[in-house]
Amino acid sequence: MHGILEPLQYVFIQRALLASVLVGVSCSFLGVYVVLRRISNIGHALTHSALPGIVIAFMCGANLFLGALIAVLFTALMIGFLSKDDKISEDTATGMMPTIMFALGVLLISASKSYRDMSSMLFGNILGVSNGDLWLIGTITVVIVLALVLCHKELQLFCVDRDYAQTIGINVEGLRLLLLILLSLSVVTGIQATGAILTNALLIVPTAAARLVVNQLIPLMITAVSMTVACCIAGVYCSYYFGFSSGASIVLCCGLCFGISWLFRAVQNRKR
Amino acid sequence: MFISYCQHRHSTPNPKAPALWMQDVSASYEDVADRVALKNISLSVTRGSSTALVGPNGAGKSTLFKVAANLLKNSSGKVEIFGQPLGACHQRVVYLPQRSGIDWEFPLSVLDLVTTGRYVYLGWLRSLEKKDYDKAWEALKSLSIEDLAHRQIAQLSGGQQQRVLIARALAQDADLLLLDEPLNAVDVQTRHIVQRVLNEQKAQGKTTIVATHYFKQEEGLYDNAVYLKDGEICTAS
Repeated sequence: MHGILEPLQYVFIQRALLASVLVGVSCSFLGVYVVLRRISNIGHALTHSALPGIVIAFMCGANLFLGALIAVLFTALMIGFLSKDDKISEDTATGMMPTIMFALGVLLISASKSYRDMSSMLFGNILGVSNGDLWLIGTITVVIVLALVLCHKELQLFCVDRDYAQTIGINVEGLRLLLLILLSLSVVTGIQATGAILTNALLIVPTAAARLVVNQLIPLMITAVSMTVACCIAGVYCSYYFGFSSGASIVLCCGLCFGISWLFRAVQNRKR
Repeated sequence: MFISYCQHRHSTPNPKAPALWMQDVSASYEDVADRVALKNISLSVTRGSSTALVGPNGAGKSTLFKVAANLLKNSSGKVEIFGQPLGACHQRVVYLPQRSGIDWEFPLSVLDLVTTGRYVYLGWLRSLEKKDYDKAWEALKSLSIEDLAHRQIAQLSGGQQQRVLIARALAQDADLLLLDEPLNAVDVQTRHIVQRVLNEQKAQGKTTIVATHYFKQEEGLYDNAVYLKDGEICTAS
């Protein structure tokens, strides 16, 4: 018990744990739609696209988080815009945009010659969350949860039967764009926890783990959110006690969760 | 408060207008612009009738339905549903596609899927109410699948999937049903149930248009037939 409570005396740990809960909620809530719509490559694309925004913000002395947000939103809108053209599939746009954005980021890093200063944004450092970051993550989380709750039935129908949604007058292109924008926002919250390179894991891995053991949408969301929050908190403790990178610790906890779910399902299947 | 999904408010149909009216309608898919999928189609489907849309694969049956359901924009011509332009009568038209367009792996129960047929009456921000569930149960019962209500859609057979989609169409309580090959690749029991439901719909004054390429086996089901070949209306052969 003491081992759990002891780190809580530090303000930076309290902030990190609160950030963990918020990041867990925003990423995995949305991650359910990402996994079920089979668009996990979009999460990957958006996380990698944050790099040039982070570097430009660093070079200008601006908030790195804000830089990441602008770059990711730009990429999301570009993917949405380009894939409207029938000759460019969503898959192609999603594959193309992050590589261009990442290359731009690498070029800017080489120009700024300061790779070390951005390592926390690349690989995550949830222990370094400031009060300002916490407010931003909190606001984004509230926006995401509110949007998902208010549009739940439409998003559900959009995922299961897009044509029917369109037939009854739902603006499916608008919903797709909304999903991309929310995804961009959640990716930005995840960057603080696990960094631009590993954030996709928060969107995908806990939901994939929950999907193995849960078959209904709302329980799936609750399980995925609980798993992500638990993994983020476990990652913070690993980082505190063993000095591991917080981002890597969180993602590996998610991986462990997936492994346990997979084993559980395998055992259940053998029993039948 | 009702916030409609479409920019038009739900319009009152013109009581004297046909259920579906098309004049010189052409349409093509943007990715295959060289091939016109529908060419100068003109037809008028009387209210309360049942019509077979007959033709081989690739004749343009699904394309015609997609235009009527406002899923595909016609490149020329005029389309009216109950005397109103496309998009003005969303709740009155239901399009039942072939089963492949739906993600059957999505974690949703049969009842959840059937209640999506009520969304058009709810619009944004409103949740399902008891009367919506009552309608859904009624539809499930008429298709004899009420025992499947809480089963996941991923666990359904092909025939059950077809019945669930028809149940959703009934839950919507639409006046014009566009059914794309509903009797294709289904078991005998499903075929009988679907035929009974189509007859009941007709008896209630609903208009049904059914795409089929096995017209000879189903001939007695329909009041009239429209033949399509290579995107054009042709005479029976």
